Amino acid sequence: MLENGKSGAESTASFISILFRIRAKNRYAAPVGTVLMIGLLALCNGCKSPGSDKPIGSVVQIKVPLGLPPVPIPADNPPTVETIALGRRLFYDTRLSKDNSLSCASCHNPEYDFTDGMSVSKGMGGQKGVRNAPTVMNAAYLPFQFWDGRAISLEQQAGSPMANPVEMDQTHDVSVSKLEADPEYRALFVKAFGPGSITISKIEKSLASFERTVLSGNSAFDRYEFGGDQKALTPSQIRGLAIFKDPHRGNCAACHTINKNYALFTDGKFHNIGEGVGDDGTFSDVGRYHETRVVTDTGAFMTPTLRNIANTAPYMHDGKVKTLKAVVDFYAGGGNSNPYLDKEIRAIKLTGQDRSDLVEFLKSLTGEMPPNVGPPAKE
Amino acid sequence: MRIHSSINLFCICCVAALAIGCSGKKNAEPAPAHVEQPAVSYFKVDPATAATITGTIRYTGKKPARKLIDMSEDPACVEAHHGKAYDESLVVGSKGALANAFVYIKKGLEGKTFAVPATPVVIDQRGCWFRPRIVGIQTGQVLQVVNSDPVTHNIHPMAEINREWNHSQGPGDPPMTRKFLKPEIMIPVKCNIHSWMHAYIGVVDNPYFAVSSDDGTFAIKNLPPGTYTIGVWQEKLGTQEQQLTVAPHQDAVADFTFKGK
Repeated sequence: MLENGKSGAESTASFISILFRIRAKNRYAAPVGTVLMIGLLALCNGCKSPGSDKPIGSVVQIKVPLGLPPVPIPADNPPTVETIALGRRLFYDTRLSKDNSLSCASCHNPEYDFTDGMSVSKGMGGQKGVRNAPTVMNAAYLPFQFWDGRAISLEQQAGSPMANPVEMDQTHDVSVSKLEADPEYRALFVKAFGPGSITISKIEKSLASFERTVLSGNSAFDRYEFGGDQKALTPSQIRGLAIFKDPHRGNCAACHTINKNYALFTDGKFHNIGEGVGDDGTFSDVGRYHETRVVTDTGAFMTPTLRNIANTAPYMHDGKVKTLKAVVDFYAGGGNSNPYLDKEIRAIKLTGQDRSDLVEFLKSLTGEMPPNVGPPAKE
Repeated sequence: MRIHSSINLFCICCVAALAIGCSGKKNAEPAPAHVEQPAVSYFKVDPATAATITGTIRYTGKKPARKLIDMSEDPACVEAHHGKAYDESLVVGSKGALANAFVYIKKGLEGKTFAVPATPVVIDQRGCWFRPRIVGIQTGQVLQVVNSDPVTHNIHPMAEINREWNHSQGPGDPPMTRKFLKPEIMIPVKCNIHSWMHAYIGVVDNPYFAVSSDDGTFAIKNLPPGTYTIGVWQEKLGTQEQQLTVAPHQDAVADFTFKGK
């Protein structure tokens, strides 16, 4: 079945490439349009058209736990029962990688609160990446995805690691044809998007809709801060929270924001804290600068959420800081000086008690794992 | 006519630009050749005439009481230090011997350029303490900063002439290396995380410096004969200097005494 599917896809692909070659050669010749029309008609008759990539199923209002705002939803991808379930299935499917060994969940593993517990992630054939896998939890709220913000939506993010040679290392065409070979998937995609073949856009949209349900809230902190439960935090955690918020003490909330009615613990912006600066004062990983080419963005990375932070060690974009205490010490020390250091980063006078209170507070940010986000049950 | 003149102007501009371009290129050309040439010829000491300055640094006041350092803010430091930690800003041994004074040639070596040693100077953060506390380094020589502790340190040389920097170093992090390019007596060093940790770095553009040992003695060896001003710096007691003419192959002596309160 898989073989048939593959050869079918291959022949389609070669047919398209022939068409394009004809088109390129005779770009200005009048008859080409006619030839192309006939060709496309033949294509439509020979196989399925992609159809619309707008979900058709029943739209779901994503339930938000205490401490989180409503989930932002793009107009062209309302989450549906079908796309969420399909996205969940895809998220855990290793067929989206070259040798069927890796899925999204390999690096965003629910057992590690959707990270992988490693300094930097391992991709195809054990190749090491250069950055620490960020959690998927609450990624739905971020204005940018990836440490350097190179994607601006979950949809855009989803396709990238699949095709990245050091990650899942499989072209989108191959991913599509592997799924097309599975009648179950074909049916699920039709149910989710209506008639048409599987496309990378549909895969990305489904994954994004699933990820919008991977939320973390209702932590001890949320129950204390937003739920009025004064006993939800320990005295040490309450002191830690005060230090966290106070601009003259921890100043943590300057970037790891807490709003009046909700807390994302990230401003969604890019900051240089000095992590990763080399002995010669330069950054081997230039971070945000890679996207913007703005010099002051050198060595800046997106503020990560702190939700579930106790379960997502090691820390920082390069995973070089191993413990929460080391993170707090890093900031207490004022990070690493460099020409692009964020103005909010400076040495802070924190007592040992302050530092351990901050660590205790960070442990209160572990929320409940939402239902239906783990690997789908095998039928 | 107007068109004509503007064409002329255009031509002049082009020629001028060309000329500037050419001259700019000419200026740029010798640069790589310059790099290949040994930029400086290092001064070589003649072993037949090389002299030595030795001396003892003493403190005459009342021996200061040892002050206990409180590391309780970081329990991991208390554990790592193994025993009590005492303030080392003024360490006086028997017979007033003053340790941890920095001795260097302040004047008399002008115009001489010395090779930079290939071996790095090491500052270790061990037991939540900088070891050594007082360290000398030559301009351009590598400073290697090691963290042997199970805690994060943030070393911060508060340089004024050189570039000031601070850098976090977590437990198990590899050593980091830095250089200081200009002479500076002395650069105070602190740990941004542990308030009691202090060190001082003396940066000199020659190899003639020393730190007095526990018995107050120091030795500056392999010195070319000449007339020198020897400077001494101690973190609590300030500075002193002495002029001294050193004959070929001489073992000269320069003692210093700091008066305490």
